[in-house]
Amino acid sequence: MRVVVRTVSELCITVGALIVLFVAYVLFWTGVKADTVMDDQIDRLQSQWSKGSVQQPKVTAGATAARAELAPYRSGQPFAIMYIPRLGFTWNKPVLEDTRVSTLKKGLGHYANTAQLGQQGNFSVAGHRRTYGDPFKDFPKLRRGDAVVLTDGTTWFTYRIDKGPYKTVPTDIEVIDPVPRKSGYTRPGRYLTLTTCDPEWGHSHRLIVWAHLDSTQPVEDGKPVALRR
Amino acid sequence: MYGWIWRHLPGNAWVKAFLSLMLVVAVVYVLFQYVFPWAEPLLPFNDVTVDNQ
Repeated sequence: MRVVVRTVSELCITVGALIVLFVAYVLFWTGVKADTVMDDQIDRLQSQWSKGSVQQPKVTAGATAARAELAPYRSGQPFAIMYIPRLGFTWNKPVLEDTRVSTLKKGLGHYANTAQLGQQGNFSVAGHRRTYGDPFKDFPKLRRGDAVVLTDGTTWFTYRIDKGPYKTVPTDIEVIDPVPRKSGYTRPGRYLTLTTCDPEWGHSHRLIVWAHLDSTQPVEDGKPVALRR
Repeated sequence: MYGWIWRHLPGNAWVKAFLSLMLVVAVVYVLFQYVFPWAEPLLPFNDVTVDNQ
């Protein structure tokens, strides 16, 4: 009898410790890992850019003509850095190609079948709300007029949010269409869509914001106004 | 269970305590390195895309 009671209580303690450890892992350790990995990705991008091995041709300020023959992004590889001043002045995350689970651990994920950065269509990006560095934790704070700035090493792209967090269901794939339904856009254009999960710790819904391309400028001209302080 | 382990560790109390600590560290390492990364995607925090693309 005593052996049974002892074994059961030991098991309970073990399971309890396991749960505490797992919570610590999800809440804390994934963030530590993600911060390291994301810094790594940004370092890789910046060293790539400083070597001048950017694949894309240069665009002059205000150039709106379609760029000829863009190299496709490589799956799982970083290709841009995103800045959203509303989420914090120091908030910056790498953007990687595709939205697989393993990719989203390293940064934000660009939906593989959507437009490329700054191009005609809908440049769509997904990111974690919680865990893995909580990149989109403050997603609901985004408002109309907020800037979403991206750079691909040669050009700064400033998008302006037009429609604040819009809540939808996970199957609502039309939100990343070239002209997203419910976004209020009626004509084709250069749009950006951000998606994350909602509620914060759940997965029953998705939060969406839409933005349009406001301005571009070559990196030589310095940071865009939205990032200056 | 823990008593059984303690009895089967060699050496005096200090050595046993040290070995137990090592065992705990090893278990935590395996959990963080292999078990939790496997279990974590089963939770809903990864579902941030539309239509799971």
